[in-house]
Amino acid sequence: MSLFYFVAFVAIFFALMTIFTKNPVHSVLYLVVTFFTLTVHYILLNAQFLAVVNFIVYMGAIMVLFLFVLMLLNLNGDTEPMKSNLVKVIGVIAGMCLFATLLGAFRVIEPSNEIVTGNTDIGLVKHLGNVLFNEFLLPFEISAILLLIAMIGAVLLAKKEVKEIKKA
Amino acid sequence: MGAIITLCILGMVVLYLGLFKAKNALLPVTLLGLVVTLGFLVAGWNSEALPQFHGMVIFDRLALSFSILCVVITGLVILLSKEYFKNISTYLSEYFCLIIFSLTGALLVNAYHNFAMLFIGIEVMSVALYILVGIRKTDLASNEAALKYFLMGAFSTGFLLFGITLLYGASGTFDLTELQAYVQTSSEISPLFYGGVLLLLCGLCFKVGAAPFHFWTPDVYDGAPILITSFMSTVVKVASFVGFLRLFSTVLVPLHDFWTPVLLTIIIITLFVGNITALLQSSFKRMMAYSSISHAGYMLFAIVSVGATSASGMLVYATAYSLASVIAFGMLILVKRSTGSENFESFNGLAKKQPLLAFILTVAMLSLAGIPLTAGFMGKFMMFNNVMGIYNITLLILAVINAAIGVYYYLHVVVNMYFRKPEEEVTEQHVPTSYKVVLVIAAVLTLIIGVYPDSILLFFFP
Repeated sequence: MSLFYFVAFVAIFFALMTIFTKNPVHSVLYLVVTFFTLTVHYILLNAQFLAVVNFIVYMGAIMVLFLFVLMLLNLNGDTEPMKSNLVKVIGVIAGMCLFATLLGAFRVIEPSNEIVTGNTDIGLVKHLGNVLFNEFLLPFEISAILLLIAMIGAVLLAKKEVKEIKKA
Repeated sequence: MGAIITLCILGMVVLYLGLFKAKNALLPVTLLGLVVTLGFLVAGWNSEALPQFHGMVIFDRLALSFSILCVVITGLVILLSKEYFKNISTYLSEYFCLIIFSLTGALLVNAYHNFAMLFIGIEVMSVALYILVGIRKTDLASNEAALKYFLMGAFSTGFLLFGITLLYGASGTFDLTELQAYVQTSSEISPLFYGGVLLLLCGLCFKVGAAPFHFWTPDVYDGAPILITSFMSTVVKVASFVGFLRLFSTVLVPLHDFWTPVLLTIIIITLFVGNITALLQSSFKRMMAYSSISHAGYMLFAIVSVGATSASGMLVYATAYSLASVIAFGMLILVKRSTGSENFESFNGLAKKQPLLAFILTVAMLSLAGIPLTAGFMGKFMMFNNVMGIYNITLLILAVINAAIGVYYYLHVVVNMYFRKPEEEVTEQHVPTSYKVVLVIAAVLTLIIGVYPDSILLFFFP
């Protein structure tokens, strides 16, 4: 339990650092650390598959991509746009409202709740596969369509139009 | 289920047609596929509706009727699109394929019976649209619209997922029947459930473009290619509403004391924001974008007064709105092609040059405004009737005021067509046959439903 509290503290700390730091590159690096702490959480929950996927895909692939894009854009602390105070105040009020609502919703959670604890082995690859190919077969198959769409879109948007080359 | 499989296969076949450069086969094959889909949907009409695939989807009357509507509207949009897309992009087959996949997502959202399907359906529907909105790559407005839509869509999906998670935390299930059992039987509903309902409400309001979550709508509708806008504001919006209605009518009815005030506030803000801002627009396309926000407000009536008649009311309203939108956007394409502008002034004097088309557009505008003898009137009548059923007079009065505001800006176009002279003489322009066919079909359907609404109601909800 004490390990959980330590990791949770680190996660919240680095999540806050992600927002408060001025330099975008540092911000992304803090986000990577936050994701790493989340991976530790998944391991604590015995969700090994999720932990590995989170580690490889989010921390490895997506965050590095983020970092590359940021470096290409050449952003730094000076180019950060100034936001008016009114927007900041409204943002704080709205954020606090959301926070209060969620806090109210979460106050009932007890660790002994059977839904919360559940089956502790469910995160193993073997059980996950069983669920995916039985109960959740249809969403799993439809995800293939989703990936196909994303692929078509990436190619379509990245490819040059033939007509324009002729014109030029 | 046959319908969804057909659409998935159709999308891939269309892609292969593009690979083999069979450009002329694209339109017939797509239409054939849609007709087969329609056949599957109609064939499932009298069979008993049971959740399929471990309770993932259910093709009941609600799902089937709205799916048929979505397929028909997509067919009309596709008939218009071949002519239109030749000028925008060379990748016609990819464009058709994306529209078909988006329709698949819409059907899934219509028929979901498990939150996993709702999520996947919404994603399939929207991801295809993010690409379609940005298909005009050299146009900055289109790029901006695509990016904005993508960011807002991802953001709202976050809300949706968070809401689903909280509901799962409270009840331990994604299945609608089990959720219903939880709400009806549990002695005390967990606060987690209430939090989840609020977040789900936010996510779904983003998707249907209700205020105060409407900020993406005008820019996205304005920047997207016109036909994509018409697809977005009809098929996608209708499907999101069915998802909304199914959730609230099956699961959340016992909790209506909790969500009715929230939804009422959203409706009133939506109506006023949509109508008053639409009044100030000078561009027809932007006016349609704001008017779609206000129509979202009217369609939410069916959810706030959820009951036995809300599905049929929403069906008539959605049909009327979709048909009128297809006509309006189809006409906008023609007008823009001849005058090069999307402003109200470009409609000046259209009645002299194209009497038939001007009449059709008039029918569509009257239908949107809710004038009797058109489908829009029946839709509004049934929606208002539902609200009368729950004795909410304040909402009704506010809605009538808004309907009156709506009449003004819808008739603006009609006045321009019939009573204003064009600034410069524009040469007579050829109207493609496919446009004439689609516009006439849509106008005739609008009038039939307006004069004899039982035609659609008896058919769908006997």
